[in-house]
Order: sequence, then C-alpha cells, then structure tokens
Amino acid sequence: MPRWSSYEIPVDTGLFTPLGLQPTALCRLGFNAAGRWLGRNPISHSRLLAEHQTGLVVWSAQLDFDEPVGFFDADCLEMRVTARVRGAGTQVEFDLEVGSPLDTRARLQACCVPLRLEGDAALSGIPARLSPEVMAAFLPDEVGGRPHRSQVPGLRAAVLGDGTALAQHRLPFVIHRHQCEVADQWFWPEAVSLAAGAREELVRAEAERVPVLLPGLRTPVRRLDLLFSRPFFLFDEGAVRSSAYEWEGRLVFIHELVGSHEDRPRALVTEQFSLPEERAWD
Amino acid sequence: MIVHVNGALLRFTDYRRDISVAAPTVEAALTKLADEYRPLQPVLFDRMGRLRATHRIFLNGELVAPDELASPAGDDDSVDLLLAISGG
Repeated sequence: MPRWSSYEIPVDTGLFTPLGLQPTALCRLGFNAAGRWLGRNPISHSRLLAEHQTGLVVWSAQLDFDEPVGFFDADCLEMRVTARVRGAGTQVEFDLEVGSPLDTRARLQACCVPLRLEGDAALSGIPARLSPEVMAAFLPDEVGGRPHRSQVPGLRAAVLGDGTALAQHRLPFVIHRHQCEVADQWFWPEAVSLAAGAREELVRAEAERVPVLLPGLRTPVRRLDLLFSRPFFLFDEGAVRSSAYEWEGRLVFIHELVGSHEDRPRALVTEQFSLPEERAWD
Repeated sequence: MIVHVNGALLRFTDYRRDISVAAPTVEAALTKLADEYRPLQPVLFDRMGRLRATHRIFLNGELVAPDELASPAGDDDSVDLLLAISGG
C-alpha cells in the first residue's frame, strides 16, 4: 500500500475568501504537504536537494473543489497526502485531499519533474530521472504507472473548438521576490494568483456587457488545471492573456501567461465555474 | 556589447541588469563578466570552465548554440543571459 500522511492544520482567515478556501492557498498547502510526506517517508526535500542534487519542479497540476471549504466549517483542516513515482522515475506525482475527517472537499494533484542540479548557487538544473538510490527509498507500491499526461491541451482544444467565446482581457505583471521561491524563480502557485487576478479584471471590465461572466466573481471556482512549460524569474515581465467561454454548461477561463515580447505561453491555467442552470457537475 | 542579465542570475551581479562588456566574442564577454562579478563565475561555468548547460544565451534575440559562442560579436551587439530552470 502507498504510504499516506494525515494531519490537521488550524484554519486562519488568510487562507480563505468569502467564497471559500483560496486555490492559491491550496497549492501552497499542497506543496508543503508534499514536503511533509517526502520527509516522513522516502527522503526529505532538503536532503533530496543537498545530498542527491535532485530538485522537483511542478509541471502539471489539477485542483478540484467537490464542495466549498469555508473558514467557519471547522477549526482545522484535515490533510491527507501521498505520492508515487511515475514514468520510470521521470515524474513524481503528489495527491492531496483536504476536508474534514469524514469527507474530502478539495483535491490537488501535482505532477513534478525531477531535475539534476548542477551544484551551483542558483540551483540550476536539467530534467533527469530520479537516481536508483532515491527510487529505492519509495515502496514498490509507490513506483510505477505510465507518465502523467496533462489534461490542459485537450481541455483547451475542446473549449476553443466547441465553446462560445465571451470576452478577452490582457493584464501585465512583473514578478517580484515575494512571489518567488528559494532560487528567485517564481513559486508555481503564483500562476494561480495571476490567473485569478486577470479573471477578476476581465469580469469587472466586461460583466455589464456579458452578464454570464458574473459567476466568475460571485461563485467559487470548481476546477483548475495548470500546465507549465517555462518558469518566470525575479523581475521578469509578462502578461496574462485571458479568454472566457461558455462550454458544456460551465463558465471557463483560459489564461495564457506569456513573457513580454513572447507569444508562446510559459504557463496555461484553466478555471471552471458552475453556471446557475447547471445541475450535475460531475 | 551589452549583456542583459535576467531573473535568478541578478543577485550574482548585484542586481545590475544591463552591463557593458568589451570583448570580441560572446564567450569572451561571459568570461569577462564572470571575472568582474566573481559570485557569477561558478554559476555560469563548471569546474572545467565550460558554460553550464542550464543557461540559454541569445545574441540579438537569436539562441546561440554552445559551439557558436566563439563567434565574433561587436560593440553594437546585445546578449541576453538566461537561466532555463532551477530546482528550488
């Protein structure tokens, strides 16, 4: 059986909005939970970096909110986390469940790519398989399976092909240090924050003309999908190119995070919201 | 030429982003830059003095392959120095 770690964290108001648990907070809690699982089971994140010259970068992630998670629901959030190695050591996938002891309300699945670090102070690295020594620290049930495939390209193609385009918006940004991790590279949950800000600006600008956009402000997001191709770094300038669609009874926002003077997105974020007439989400 | 230092490398040049370097090639410019900003040296080059594979070098916007670093470059040229990815 794969090993799980279960623990509680006290809630604080900063984790929430009036609509529920912040998706960015779920990503940050998830990465922290992944570190906790690694440290209590195969190997700690710091030892992975320092002794095995192996870093992990998130390549793909999916957040699902089965039910809203509110600040007043409980004093603590129940966290359950596990991980597995996929693709013969080319990926490490974490699963986090958040809720109460009796029910799971939100889930995060994050697929990481191992990097072989060069050993310099910038923590630079190139994608590589996990070493046999690191692989051996996982249980047999925690290793195996085909490589994870992101759902973002297929979802994006389906929405662009079959959805009804509603509005577009562009929001510039600069990456500052409070948005970065230890290597002055953006911390990946910032993609969720930047996309959320861009979506709110799109709705503020266009909702009077296109009222169907309003659930993008009024209601909590139900699902997010993230796909990263290249990180942003300290003081990098970029923009979020956002498009809104009505697709299969949902309001969908597709966010392309591009560097300045670049066309190819460094990250894609899709957000899905229920529309009022939708009855069956799943 | 002007070397534009980006992102995660800025702290190794004391946050100087656009640095003028007099050198006949891109490779010589990077070596001179690392001499001037010593903390940058082990980040840019490995123990054998080779440019680490984790960096991307652009000359006037065009990606420079490792075997093209010795190509001539002049005062009016612009070099962008980027770290592809880090594993923090």
